[in-house]
Amino acid sequence: MVKKKLMMLVSLMLVLSVFLAACSKDKEKVEGVEKEKPDSEKIEEVENTEELSFPVDVSNKDAVLEDGELVYALVTDDPFKGTLSPVFYDDTHDATILSFFSESLLAGDGDYLITNDGAATYDISNENKTITIKIKDGVKWHDGEPVKASDLLYAYEIIGHPDYTASGYVFPTNNISGMTAYHEGKADTISGITVSDDDRTIAITFEAPSPSILSGVATDPVPRHYLGDVTKGEITIEEIEGSDKIRTKPIGFGPYKVKKVIPGEAVQYERFDDYWRGKPNLKSIVLKVVNSATILEALKKGEVDIAGFPTDQYLNAKDVDQFELLGKIGFTYTYIGFNLGEWDKKNKTSIMNPKSKSADKRIRQAMWHAMNNEVVGKEMYHGLRVPATTLIPPALGFHDAENKGRSFDPEKAKELLDEAGLIDVNNDGFREDADGNELIINFLSMSGGEVAEPLAKWYMQNWNDVGLKVQLLDGRLHEMQAFYDMIDTDRPDIDIFMGAWVAGTDPDPSDIYGRESFNNFSRYTSEKNDELLKAGTSEKAFDVEYRRDIYNQWQEMMVEEVSLAPTLYRHDLKAVNKRVTNYSIDPGSPNSDIWMWGVTK
Amino acid sequence: MLKFILRRTLIMIPQLFLLSLIVFVLAKAMPGDAITGAFAGDPNATEERKEELREKFGLNDPWYEQYGRWIGNAVQGDFGSSYMYKQPVTTLLAGKVGNTVLLALFTLIITYIIAIPLGIVAGRWTDTWADKLIVTYNYFSFATPLFVFSLLMLFLFSFILGWFPIGGSVDIKIEEGTWDYIVSKMEHLFLPVMSGALLATFGTIQYLRNDIIDTKLKDFVKTARAKGVPERKVYTKHILRNSLLPIAAFLGYEIAGLIGGSIFIESIFSYPGLGQLFLTSIGARDFTVVTALVMILGTATIIGTMLSDIILSIVDPRIRVE
Repeated sequence: MVKKKLMMLVSLMLVLSVFLAACSKDKEKVEGVEKEKPDSEKIEEVENTEELSFPVDVSNKDAVLEDGELVYALVTDDPFKGTLSPVFYDDTHDATILSFFSESLLAGDGDYLITNDGAATYDISNENKTITIKIKDGVKWHDGEPVKASDLLYAYEIIGHPDYTASGYVFPTNNISGMTAYHEGKADTISGITVSDDDRTIAITFEAPSPSILSGVATDPVPRHYLGDVTKGEITIEEIEGSDKIRTKPIGFGPYKVKKVIPGEAVQYERFDDYWRGKPNLKSIVLKVVNSATILEALKKGEVDIAGFPTDQYLNAKDVDQFELLGKIGFTYTYIGFNLGEWDKKNKTSIMNPKSKSADKRIRQAMWHAMNNEVVGKEMYHGLRVPATTLIPPALGFHDAENKGRSFDPEKAKELLDEAGLIDVNNDGFREDADGNELIINFLSMSGGEVAEPLAKWYMQNWNDVGLKVQLLDGRLHEMQAFYDMIDTDRPDIDIFMGAWVAGTDPDPSDIYGRESFNNFSRYTSEKNDELLKAGTSEKAFDVEYRRDIYNQWQEMMVEEVSLAPTLYRHDLKAVNKRVTNYSIDPGSPNSDIWMWGVTK
Repeated sequence: MLKFILRRTLIMIPQLFLLSLIVFVLAKAMPGDAITGAFAGDPNATEERKEELREKFGLNDPWYEQYGRWIGNAVQGDFGSSYMYKQPVTTLLAGKVGNTVLLALFTLIITYIIAIPLGIVAGRWTDTWADKLIVTYNYFSFATPLFVFSLLMLFLFSFILGWFPIGGSVDIKIEEGTWDYIVSKMEHLFLPVMSGALLATFGTIQYLRNDIIDTKLKDFVKTARAKGVPERKVYTKHILRNSLLPIAAFLGYEIAGLIGGSIFIESIFSYPGLGQLFLTSIGARDFTVVTALVMILGTATIIGTMLSDIILSIVDPRIRVE
């Protein structure tokens, strides 16, 4: 009897230990990081491994299987929202779902600039103010109706509509002539847009010429005949938003038709035989939501062919045979921002405050030099994040690869702080400010994810190491909503903050760094900045080389001025089953177009 | 009985009203709103546009005006529109409530199917090996975190053995309305239900076991035995009827808990239901959805407790005495 009991206990312990092993694997890593991180002497121990690089194309070059089927995973812990219309969606998962059945009329090249290779061609005239878009023959909606120029006009009529609340009403759309009047309900039509009599050509005139048109003009048509016409009062904006016609039975003119939607969970597509480019390779595609905790196993088992791969599971996925990892550095960059002034609500402009704790640019430069981002990228993100150099991320063609930003250099940081007059007067180990008063820098950082806390502590330790006393605002991390609420309301005791921006395909940085942009959270302004940002979107900047030169200058200036110190760029990973072919994540490759994707087994 | 139910229903109204007020005020006290979150990190969003949208959704009005507007519409069954999902809250919830109720119902049934016999066995044959096994299982299920257990179930039965699908509520390729469709739904339900039910049994087992052990020693049981009632009848007629009381009392809470507490299960099995929606909408400050969901959970709890009371008054005549 005693023996039996013991046996049971042992077997119980065994089962338990399996549990514990299963859940502690990932945790250990993070805890290890937390313990190691604040100890700067560990730096030497970091292996000098080669920087990670990933292919952008699949290695499988076999012939495409006719009538293949593919499973695409949306890796998320939440159901997708399911607003499946190019003008109404707000969410990246919905954007992914849309990409299979809906496209823009104008295609983009590797630098995200519009080309004539898409379903329409364009021409720019009228001193670069007007873009004329001509739809090619044979471009059809999934219900067989031709795609008309007035369908693109309809997209603008919805986006500009006074009742419209989604995120499409932005530059350059709001810069179309007559758009403001239409948006405010003062005009029934948008005077800057004209459609030709044969309904194949549309001309859009902007208030001012801007090269942003080349990357930012919206060319996703909306099927007026299918949804009903808002301008004629057939249906309201709100009714369209709630309608099944954009939720479970949407149509587009892309390579695959939506056959069925299970809201929040899965979408089934089938080949659209009349696709304007030709016959798509796959017979059908299933897209389904897969939890990030199970995606690795699903990929290993071959239940899923393509999936965005979560960074924190990278170590377990490196050497798996069933799939390969593609990757490139994405549009997102993390940053440390400095509170340099405040937002003048009345005049809608940023005003710098010369009394700000980091008003002296040498302090900001020093804080950038003090941050050891290399270790963060390697240890906390397994090398999937790399130190950032400039404020235009490498995903964009206008990134200046020559510009190395400010590397980790604590000695340089100390020198700069000495120069700025920040000396430790009372020998407490921390520097006092230039007037000899105690200097405590309040750091606002966001919670969320296991790395958030060790990361914030690591940077604080880095700054401590050069003699700056940095403490967390309110002594803790803040949840995302609270974070942006404090930033939006300009809470005065924030000195520095850590956030992230997702750059758009338009390289123009004025929406984040312009004097009159509210998003300029640092509130940094200068004449030189105004000048360069203006030049970058001037008519002259239609010349790409000129524009590149301007943005190189701007990146250079920002490395000098450090209104934000960029910290990390991110590798975005895609795990792709080895049976997939003709698949690429390089936007310049023809295989990035979904109709090319195929399977070989 | 009818009077009792009617009275309870009438009391519900002020209860729900108070609940809605508290929820509304608390929701508004959270930092940020739907617009802050939706545009966070999006460089395209200008301040004017955000203000314009706040104005349009009435987010700049004082809370009592917003509340007045909300309750006025809610009484007519209109819970407003979700900012995040861009559709009426009622439509949004209608699409998910079915999944959650199905999950909760099956979990509840399976929980009782497992727990009641085990509780009875453990209580009747105390200190035997069967009892010890059951108690061990009970400690084990009490201590195991739901998300770890669900992942393990998923790993074992879906990935290694391949018996069940890895997630979702139904296979998208199967046509609706066919027999295969129902089978597929059941297949998808099995693992989430079992993961939930196997861990949810501890309360019921523990209460039942303890109560049977207590009741065994009560005078009326001794009397029954003394007058020669067969042992089996002592248990079914005399002990069980009394020991099931606390279980019945818990039923209501159990229902409310299942509807709100399925967040982990729904997330791990990618099963779209209310629990997940609740979390995401709090994160996004989608107030209309949050308030509507709290109202649903509140109503479920109140109805659940009412249900418990009704069941209790049926099994326990003492309660009916006023």
